Amino acid sequence: MLTGAKTFKVRQMEPDMKERMLSQSGDSARSRDLVGLRCLPGECVLQRVLMVRKKLTSREGRGWLSGTLFCTHFRVAFVPQDCPNPPDNADPVLLGDHDVALASIEKVVVVGPNRTKLVTPSSSLKFTPEELLLYCRDMRVVCVLFDRLTPDSQVLQMTYTIAKSYQPLKPGSVLSFQNAALGSVEMKQLLSNRSRDSHMNWFESVQDWEQELERCGAVGWRVSTVNERFEMATSLPRFVVVPQRVLDTELKKSFAHFSEGRIPRWSWRHPRGADLLRMSSFQNNIYHEKDDIRNLELILFGGHSSLCVVVELGEELPSPLDIQLAHSRLRALCLGDVSSSVSVPDDKWLSTLESTHWLHCTRLCLRKASEVCCLLRTGHLTVALQEAEDRDMGCLVSSLVQLMCDPHSRTQLGFQGLVQKEWVTGGHRFCSRLNYHRDSDKDEAPVFLLFLDCVWQLWAQFPSRFQFTEDFLLALHDSVHLPLFSTFLSNSQRERLKRTQHLGQLYTRVEGWRDLTLESRDGCDPGCDPPLPPVWDWDLQYSQERQAGFTQPVASPAPVQPLLNGNLNTCTALAQNTLRITDTIPGSVFLLSRGSFTCPPHLPPWRSGHGSAVYRKSHRRAPSSENVPGLERLLKAWAQAEFPHSLTTHLGSQGLLDPYEPLLPLLMGPCMGLWRQCYLRGAIHAQAFSHPLAPPQPHPVERLAQEVQHLWTRLAQVSKNPSSPESPTCTDERRVHGNLNQNVNNSTFLFPASTNHQTHKTTPHTACTNQQSSNSLPLQGAPASCPPVRGNDSHKSTFLFRTASPSETRSKERPRAPQTKSKPPGPHTSS
Amino acid sequence: MDKQIGAGAGAADGAGPNRKPRAQGTGSSSNGDGLDSPTGSHVEWCKQLIAATLSSQMTHSAPADPNRENRVSKRLPYRNLPALRYGAQLKMSQNEVPLLPGENVHITVKDVMYICPFSGLVNGTLTITDYKLYFIGVEQESPFILDVNLGAISRLETISVPNQGENTKGLELVCKDMRSPRFAYKTEENHPDVVKVLSQHTYPLTHSMPLFAFLYKEQFPVDGWKVYDATAEYKRQGLPNESWTISKINSSYELCDTYPSVLVIPTNISDEDIRRVAVFRAKHRIPVLSWIHPETQATIVRCSQPLVGPSDRRCKEDERFLQIIMDANAQSHKLTVFDARQSSVADTNKAKDGGYESESFYTNVDLNFLEIPNIHVMRESLRKVKDVVYPTIDEAHWHSAIDQTHWLEYIKLLLAGAVKVADKLESGKTSVVVHCSDGWDRTSQLTSLAMLMLDSHYRTIQGFQVLVEKEWISFGHKFSSRVGHGEDNHSSSERSPLFVQFMDCVWQMTRQFPAAFEFNELFLITVLDHLYSCLFGTFLYNSEQERTAQEVQTKTISLWSYINSQPEDFTNPFFVDYEHHVLYPLVSSRHLELWTAYYARWNPRMRPQVPVHQTLKELLFVRAELQRRLEELQKEAAAHSLSSSSEHSPSHTGTPLHSAV
Repeated sequence: MLTGAKTFKVRQMEPDMKERMLSQSGDSARSRDLVGLRCLPGECVLQRVLMVRKKLTSREGRGWLSGTLFCTHFRVAFVPQDCPNPPDNADPVLLGDHDVALASIEKVVVVGPNRTKLVTPSSSLKFTPEELLLYCRDMRVVCVLFDRLTPDSQVLQMTYTIAKSYQPLKPGSVLSFQNAALGSVEMKQLLSNRSRDSHMNWFESVQDWEQELERCGAVGWRVSTVNERFEMATSLPRFVVVPQRVLDTELKKSFAHFSEGRIPRWSWRHPRGADLLRMSSFQNNIYHEKDDIRNLELILFGGHSSLCVVVELGEELPSPLDIQLAHSRLRALCLGDVSSSVSVPDDKWLSTLESTHWLHCTRLCLRKASEVCCLLRTGHLTVALQEAEDRDMGCLVSSLVQLMCDPHSRTQLGFQGLVQKEWVTGGHRFCSRLNYHRDSDKDEAPVFLLFLDCVWQLWAQFPSRFQFTEDFLLALHDSVHLPLFSTFLSNSQRERLKRTQHLGQLYTRVEGWRDLTLESRDGCDPGCDPPLPPVWDWDLQYSQERQAGFTQPVASPAPVQPLLNGNLNTCTALAQNTLRITDTIPGSVFLLSRGSFTCPPHLPPWRSGHGSAVYRKSHRRAPSSENVPGLERLLKAWAQAEFPHSLTTHLGSQGLLDPYEPLLPLLMGPCMGLWRQCYLRGAIHAQAFSHPLAPPQPHPVERLAQEVQHLWTRLAQVSKNPSSPESPTCTDERRVHGNLNQNVNNSTFLFPASTNHQTHKTTPHTACTNQQSSNSLPLQGAPASCPPVRGNDSHKSTFLFRTASPSETRSKERPRAPQTKSKPPGPHTSS
Repeated sequence: MDKQIGAGAGAADGAGPNRKPRAQGTGSSSNGDGLDSPTGSHVEWCKQLIAATLSSQMTHSAPADPNRENRVSKRLPYRNLPALRYGAQLKMSQNEVPLLPGENVHITVKDVMYICPFSGLVNGTLTITDYKLYFIGVEQESPFILDVNLGAISRLETISVPNQGENTKGLELVCKDMRSPRFAYKTEENHPDVVKVLSQHTYPLTHSMPLFAFLYKEQFPVDGWKVYDATAEYKRQGLPNESWTISKINSSYELCDTYPSVLVIPTNISDEDIRRVAVFRAKHRIPVLSWIHPETQATIVRCSQPLVGPSDRRCKEDERFLQIIMDANAQSHKLTVFDARQSSVADTNKAKDGGYESESFYTNVDLNFLEIPNIHVMRESLRKVKDVVYPTIDEAHWHSAIDQTHWLEYIKLLLAGAVKVADKLESGKTSVVVHCSDGWDRTSQLTSLAMLMLDSHYRTIQGFQVLVEKEWISFGHKFSSRVGHGEDNHSSSERSPLFVQFMDCVWQMTRQFPAAFEFNELFLITVLDHLYSCLFGTFLYNSEQERTAQEVQTKTISLWSYINSQPEDFTNPFFVDYEHHVLYPLVSSRHLELWTAYYARWNPRMRPQVPVHQTLKELLFVRAELQRRLEELQKEAAAHSLSSSSEHSPSHTGTPLHSAV
């Protein structure tokens, strides 16, 4: 590396200086610079090659796109030839649609005539590359074709520049990347002025947790501040939710009994009244006083229930090492490397995929989560997820369970809140697991990526039940590989806050301050590390158009009313009976492991007296679960029962399905899919025939979307024309209308995989078909006979179809539903 | 949030493939296999456990089913479905067997056990009609129903059923559509033998009885036999032109008995020469035009192998014939011959008097072998697929098991071959000759797939029907031999699932281009079901000549009558007609999938979670509604803009419209 470095320096610095001057010559660095790339504040263009062609993936419509290639300190950017100039006043977006951050490049490969070569910072090329391949950590592969007319020197310089600056990850390199991206004064200023999305729950204050308790209708729980200064447990969030009955003084004694002090704490409440708890393993070497045991029991049994099932997560789930191995195999398989020339023959593809065990890992996680869902559905019990450290699978299973059971967590904001709750504040060791600093190789395990894959599996099986889309998952997946976000760069909330404290307050809340114990507002110090935004600040990463694709374009129906006593349908005598009886008898703890219940002999000495008796009884009563793996049986029974027209009649007689009915995924071999849109994005060997000269055609579905969008806009125009401005209802209509158009802007309006989300649109419609057709009939023949019917609200919905009616109902009936409020259209910057 | 809605769509019954020909009842065993309430039983086990645990602790508890509420809402009886508009005129016989017009019950046996591979034994009544086997469970509420049409049965096997008593016999129906239901029944003295009756009606041709298609008496408002008119189709392609002519030379099937009566051949070649060419081609299947590119005039020509033989025979007329075909396309001075076979097999064939075009005799001809294995390999491969998907699916080794069937590998070969053909035409602007040995198996697959890629017309519902009628049915794909309609020769080496393979390729394309096809998955599955069912005359017999002789068109009904009478069931709401788009599917196995919705559909654990089909149908409706509204509003707007230019009264025509906004 050193040998070549000097010569490069000379060659390289010249354009660098020139470009730097170019790029900063404007009055504002934010404006689109002369060379066509819109730079971030402080970003310098190192190298530029004109007339390159970038290969588009099948998702982008295949084919080739011509434009200009840039390499800056921060990214490799590609600007398409005739891309429309973004408005100058728009906020900078870190990465354009075609850009790759240097830190997410894993390796650089050049293809020359008859040969390919891996380019390292120290390598020198003996041939002129025709093609440049950038293999990214997020499993993208960017393929760029140089023009034959481009001077060789330019191509070589570009290659060397990228190779030298992409920085193969090593300890310390992340920091310099962060500085390159966010370190400029302007960027720091910008970041420190950003407000954060107040519509999602960040789980960082007492109020946040209380709001969640209220949303879930969990009674008998309170937010405890014993850990506010992380004195009790460093990896726990500052606030933990514990039963009301337990006093803080009692609570404090419990921390010692759990590994890392991660005591059982409330995560979520199933609307049927079951609570979901998480905890780490017991510390057995500590003497249990009688009081302690009583306290533990109080915590475990939560507010109400007599029954507690401890679900052991260690046994049947993949270990972090398994996950890491599986993921690296999957990467190797999917990226299909041209430089190594080891590629999987086509006829072995599926077998090789199977041998990565990645799909097996997802299946295990989903299976465990389904099991827990089934338990929760029974109501009136506490399910405690127990894992040795409670920082990996605990996060994963707990959030999967909520995703399956809670429609709220299937909205974008709800999902973000879920990740905040279970992963970010929950103490998942993002930094070590993702190994950003290359200093924790033995801890590396993409548990969070496994989680995203599980979510995708659910999404793929129930696309119509999710408000967010595959695009959102993809965006999150890619962001994980970008070491810029505070969300992923710390191992615990404590670390995160320490860093913020060090840097000073960066984020101001829109709704003012609630607790400012830790943070201080020193303002930002330009000398220190750049401030890191949370990943949820999507405006920073993606354009509005891309963000629009994160959610289903159709207004989702009104959320289910939070139920204060948590009982959806248990007004039956039975449920009340159970409650009354169980309230009087002392609780018992069961261990669910390998699909069967046991009364744990080796948990702390609860009920050790008559535990064995219960053990025998329960065993005898469920003999079948001994030999057959439990969920297999469960799912078998389920799948056999589940067939479509039973659903029909079920619905026919009962109306709507219970929205809290868990989404139980099918886990059979054929049902576990490969997330092609993510893992096979880079597959470059796919196309049988490429037509480099063919213009990129829009994806067929996109064109359909455009057609429908066109339809809508035409409808809008047509309907606006005749409308007289003085109408009192007019403004109102326009507002609704604006929303509509905004929704329709979404390019994934009719995205193929989300086929079923159209259901949203259609079904409310079916409900109002009658009304509608009856409305539209007079409409057609109306003009003469019907005088203007102003203020007749019922007519309004006819034009807007179903899309409008849910949103209208929502705005009318539920004016205050903070967690479900749709995002205001504008960007969230308070400039 | 949106749960009610997704479920609401689910409500509307029609999920997935299982439902499709409800009237014809091809097989809604979907119905069966499960006996419990929809929501409950998944968790039943858990609940029972916990209930048990609870009750074990309580001295007196009322362990009533905690799931009661869910179960109260039992399903309505099976038949309470939105009736089909056509084909729904079911006669109900006394024991509730839905019958098609013309269908008769032949035997009803009580106390039959269905040995369900998924949920154990089901007791019920078995009815055999001349069209189907119908099993209904004894359970009063929501009985189990299994419906197998006899055409789908490949062979009947007696099996041993232990532990069921002395007089119990076992029967396994090995079906062509990837399932093998098993029954156990009691034999009684004075009772006619079920198996005998069953085999009689399963193999009517073996027992010199007519196929059910000739008994079926349904009336459809659309006549599917009118879908395909060869001359009209060639006219659509711009034929005849100066180089190609629509010939009547085979009008009485004299030239070639497996070809259709209407053929397109080069203009300037004499009948005499054609007869010589016919002698030189296997089964007299001369090169004829299948498709012509509207712009470049490059053509897809199909034929059978030349009878070159070990002695390298030549036929001057044949060589000239290919030369003329090449000359008909001014854009290229080459002609590409795609031989679908493996080159080694082609050589073997050459030794047996067959062969391939030698590049030294045929000037300017490029010969390519597509290396596709023969029909026997395909049959074996699909048999292996069946082993993988029915009855049990090995969860842990699913992917490697699929690899070992090689089915996807063959799909890939076929698609890759078709892409080569299409690309040669589109990008190379070169005419193409496709053949295999006889030119009715792999050739049909390749030409029809290539045409599907090249010509958007074939991606519509009607166009696809024309494609199948033309490239498969009229050009003599031996449906009768390959499928074995009504014949008890299940071990015949003539059988092979080539049409299934073709449909699989089409499905793969629909997966990759979800908006490019007017038909949906249900359409493909329905066509495949009726490939076996013998309900319609469409796929019967081996050639047009046989069909004419049997008067298929007058005595049976076309499958397209059924489909075109209810197009909304088979339409893809995402369809956009890309008129001049050539579709090149990705053929890497990374982008191919096993069509589980077809092959594994009998497994109740494979049902889609969301009622896709119903959703699509609703979406279709929405789309039509939007379109209608747009037109309506445009009309209004047009009227308005006229009037608004003159006056601005609030009460003019536009206003009511506005208030409706």
